[in-house]
Amino acid sequence: MKRLAGLLLSTAAAVAMSGAAWAADFKIGLSNGWVGSEWRTQMIEEAQAAAAAWKAKGHNVTVLVQSANVDVPGQIAQVRNFINQGVNAIIINPNSPTAFDPVFAQAKEAGILVISTDAEVSSPDAVYVGIDQKAWGAAAAEWLAKTLGGKGNVVAINGVAGHPANQMRVSGYKEVFAKHPGIKLVNEVNANWDQAQGQQAMQNLLATYPDINGVWVQDGMAAGAWKSIMDAGKSGQIAGTGEIRKDFIDLWTSKKLNSGASVNPPGVMASALNVAVLMLQKKQLKTPATTGRYKNAMYLPIPFIDQANLADAAKKLEGKPGHYSYTSQLSIADAEALFK
Amino acid sequence: MTAMKRYPFLPALVILVVLLVLNGAFQPRSVSVAGMTGLAKTYLALMLLAIGQTYVVYAGDIDLSAGAIVSLVNVSVVLLMEHWGGDGLSVLAAIAIGLATGLACGLINGVVVAALRLQAIVATFATSIFFMGLALHLMPVAGTPAPAAFWRTYGGRVLEVPFVFWAIIALAALLTILARTRLALQLLAVGDDAQGAYQSGLPATAIRIKGYALCGAFAALAALCVTGDTASGDPLVGGKMTLFSIAAVVLGGSALSGGHGTVVGSLIGALIIGLIGSLVYFVGTPSEWQNLVQGVAILLALMAGILVGRKARA
Repeated sequence: MKRLAGLLLSTAAAVAMSGAAWAADFKIGLSNGWVGSEWRTQMIEEAQAAAAAWKAKGHNVTVLVQSANVDVPGQIAQVRNFINQGVNAIIINPNSPTAFDPVFAQAKEAGILVISTDAEVSSPDAVYVGIDQKAWGAAAAEWLAKTLGGKGNVVAINGVAGHPANQMRVSGYKEVFAKHPGIKLVNEVNANWDQAQGQQAMQNLLATYPDINGVWVQDGMAAGAWKSIMDAGKSGQIAGTGEIRKDFIDLWTSKKLNSGASVNPPGVMASALNVAVLMLQKKQLKTPATTGRYKNAMYLPIPFIDQANLADAAKKLEGKPGHYSYTSQLSIADAEALFK
Repeated sequence: MTAMKRYPFLPALVILVVLLVLNGAFQPRSVSVAGMTGLAKTYLALMLLAIGQTYVVYAGDIDLSAGAIVSLVNVSVVLLMEHWGGDGLSVLAAIAIGLATGLACGLINGVVVAALRLQAIVATFATSIFFMGLALHLMPVAGTPAPAAFWRTYGGRVLEVPFVFWAIIALAALLTILARTRLALQLLAVGDDAQGAYQSGLPATAIRIKGYALCGAFAALAALCVTGDTASGDPLVGGKMTLFSIAAVVLGGSALSGGHGTVVGSLIGALIIGLIGSLVYFVGTPSEWQNLVQGVAILLALMAGILVGRKARA
């Protein structure tokens, strides 16, 4: 009898211990399907740092990273690798909004939590933790409309046609400019999130429309566009959106450019990771993630840099390399505050 | 030696087996039934595209628009299925139109290259932009979902066996039939010596057009697999597949100069590319090195194939 009780006790202890180990240790897969910019590298580095920070809280969070230039089937293969490895959660910066529905369904069947960041996905088996790209585009457009006093000729330089984030940003500025009858959108071009193409596009636009007052240009091309504006000697007459890389912020400060920048922080994946760890602890969100066009989103705040806080932003970036982006993320405490 | 002559894909097969063993050693679950099913689901599209590309390469031509055809067919099929309501019959009708679209794209390529005598590499690059533009026109943003009936079939099981394995059996049957037609041999003859083939009375132009048409049809089949695996339309989905399909053809032991090769080799080549991708990850390559190591690994596989081939022939 005593023996049996002892056996039961030790079994119970073993179960309790394995339970504790399960609650403390998580394996999280990070999938990134495009490595064309330092922003993505910083995104992954910040997420890795966020995982390490959980150690102080008594949780061993191991991150497994798959980051390569892949097409959609290639990124589906990344997700399948994570499923094969038996991770607890997958955080993905997806190459397509809809293409992951079947593979995310398989992940959910395997008991894996899936969170997308930076770009929304349609899968009902995933949660989106990131910024609202439409609001990002709208905030920059609001700034431009306000800076121009509600009237003037404006051009827009966009990223990759057909890319969902690009389309959402475009719909964001279109909505805002439509509300300002004095703002005339004279042309919109695509420069594929490439600085050289952005510079070329701006050159062409300046040659075609000498009377431009404002430029709405996305990050990744704004530095190039501003170079053309400065080369044309028009930086005093044109207001244009900027970007959040340190080298641009420095240029902005030293040349006193009339600029403003919506911030899509590379810290979004770190924020998603902190949310994921809390979800893995079976905690419930105070407000369920049900916004966005796919009803599975939880939007993060979008910082904005303009003349008012440019000096602060520059200070935050001091000592960082030129390609480093201004960032912000949900700290563990910020994330905990969102849960019950 | 005779084996090497009869089965020029033997070196590729050896590499494939080595890669399977290595994948299994580093991540045992990747070679489980579930793992293999996942591999097949993900790479069936590339296998089909590589097979299509092989027929074009047989004749010494190349098709840089294969991936764009995948995108165009994917977008057309998804839009048609949505337009017609997504029930069984409309899905079949959309598939039929998708195949016809691929065939038509292939015919356009064939006419441009073989009949109008434009250089294949530039002409099909141009048609690829045209096909991609058409796909973007039909569906400016990725995202229209495919009906659940379609992707659940592709991802599901028939008689307890995953659907993709049935698809592979059907593909094997199709390849066997194609191997028995005269077309494969004629394409190889044109690729080996176009002048000689023409002088011996072969209609070289018509044969090359047929090769492109076949490639277009296989690209359409690949698009159906992509649609099954991704459950949606995406006007850019096939873009990167083109060069991978060519790499698979070469890894499989076919000569880009034409006249020499096998479709089975290309099929194996596609799997090699897939397995290299997962192996690079399973061995624990840091993320910032994954692209580089993958590129080096593909180069090594190419060299290994050539060395093994030489040894076997010597």
